[in-house]
Amino acid sequence: MSDTLVDLAAAIRAKRVSPVEATRACLDRIAKVNKAMRAFITVDAEGALAAARALEADAAAGRWRGPLHGVPLAYKDLCHIAGLPTSCGTKTPAYFTSAHECTAVVRLRAAGAITLGKLNMTELALGPFGDNAHHGDVQNPWRAGHVSGGSSSGSGAAVAAGLAAGAIGSDTGGSIRLPAAVCGIVGLKPTYGRVSRAGAMPLSWGLDHLGPMTRTVRDAAVMLTVIAGHDPHDATTSGRRVPDYVAALDTPVRGLRVGVAENYYFEGVTLEVEAAVRAAAQALAGAGATVAPIALPDPSVLHGIANVIARSESAVIHERVVRDRPHELQPAVRARLEVGFHISAHDYLQASRLRAQLTRQFVREVFADVDVVITPTIPEAAPSLVDAKAGSVDEVVKRMGRFSRLTRPFNALGLPALTVPCGFSRDGLPLGLQLVGRPFAEATLLRLGHAYQRVTDWHTRRPAGL
Amino acid sequence: MLVGMTSDRQVQAEVADLAAHIERLSGTLTLAEEPSSFAVALEEGAGDE
Repeated sequence: MSDTLVDLAAAIRAKRVSPVEATRACLDRIAKVNKAMRAFITVDAEGALAAARALEADAAAGRWRGPLHGVPLAYKDLCHIAGLPTSCGTKTPAYFTSAHECTAVVRLRAAGAITLGKLNMTELALGPFGDNAHHGDVQNPWRAGHVSGGSSSGSGAAVAAGLAAGAIGSDTGGSIRLPAAVCGIVGLKPTYGRVSRAGAMPLSWGLDHLGPMTRTVRDAAVMLTVIAGHDPHDATTSGRRVPDYVAALDTPVRGLRVGVAENYYFEGVTLEVEAAVRAAAQALAGAGATVAPIALPDPSVLHGIANVIARSESAVIHERVVRDRPHELQPAVRARLEVGFHISAHDYLQASRLRAQLTRQFVREVFADVDVVITPTIPEAAPSLVDAKAGSVDEVVKRMGRFSRLTRPFNALGLPALTVPCGFSRDGLPLGLQLVGRPFAEATLLRLGHAYQRVTDWHTRRPAGL
Repeated sequence: MLVGMTSDRQVQAEVADLAAHIERLSGTLTLAEEPSSFAVALEEGAGDE
């Protein structure tokens, strides 16, 4: 069976693989590993096979629905899909519902994708480690007992383990990029407004993003081309034209200016993370980019603003469960939600105004000198679940903040950010390189990420036994 | 305070930290700045692609 989304789509188009065969292969793998890995909350085998049979009939008749015809995908369990429960990682099977199905899912399905089911996640998307007391801790496919990242934990693990050809995750502070990095796959948080969030559970209206999680940058480009663009159901989406992200991949990167963030973003990261990212910078230079160090504004300013906005909005959105059923929430999740009830309207509005100012400043100052900024995605390889969950609630919450500190600033700024695998720790756990661009520069990020994957082979490695 | 909450002291400490953070930065804001300027900043900051 083909290994990447693009290869699988091509094999189906060439009729070397049928949609039913592709779907059965995924369902067989899910049946084999999901009990231990906990990547899926809901597997819709019957629905997936019915869709696959319909797509197979269409293919036989020469009716091709789109670039994902017959490709099995899976979705974070905060995407509302008709007929399937949406737990959002909570104890309540149908925690979230919506008048509209998740727009990203609707668009992928219209392009021919098959829905395998709904993926596990950190409860209410609040946490970077992928532990879940209700649905089981998602195990890192590279080493059971280690975190899969979060909050799109099931998305990261499922794609890395080959249980789905691609997945949708959501990202409010790093929740696409962190699980992608620790699971050794690609994750893209698009620009705020590039991809509709309609039909997906909100955590923070101002900071939430949906995006693709895939094995290769090319796969991510295919998915983004399908899901990006204005949506009347999401007033924050941009009316800006959607480029063909796949066509842009092969434009040479010669002359592209890449800045290596020299301040803040290497502080407190492990030596192996730093070495891997610096080696990646050299590889990008070898691929033709112009690489130089750059000083970035202090991210702690952005952390504070993001925290005020995220805490305020998430407390309002999820007030009912905190008020009526607080005992159902994991302690660290509840602790983070409770803070929002005490933030003043004054501080929330000032944070929202500051965000606008700082975004303008960042774009003007940083992107005058470079086209792309690179940083580590994670400060360390995936910790063990035992270590991630150890200590008091306060200690766990602080640990969560440290693990997501390299990704969170770019949610506050709304900038596109891509993570690609860039190496492994001494004990064989994946590391991630983060590429950040100016607003709506997804094509540039994908082009550079693809160029990196042409000169490296980290993305071709697979967890043992999967 | 809602029923069954985490330690008051931890919550109040985080709220105080965040408020102090906002207070430190707010002096730089102009009267014209508004929350929706964020979306404008993204649109205006886009390049040619």
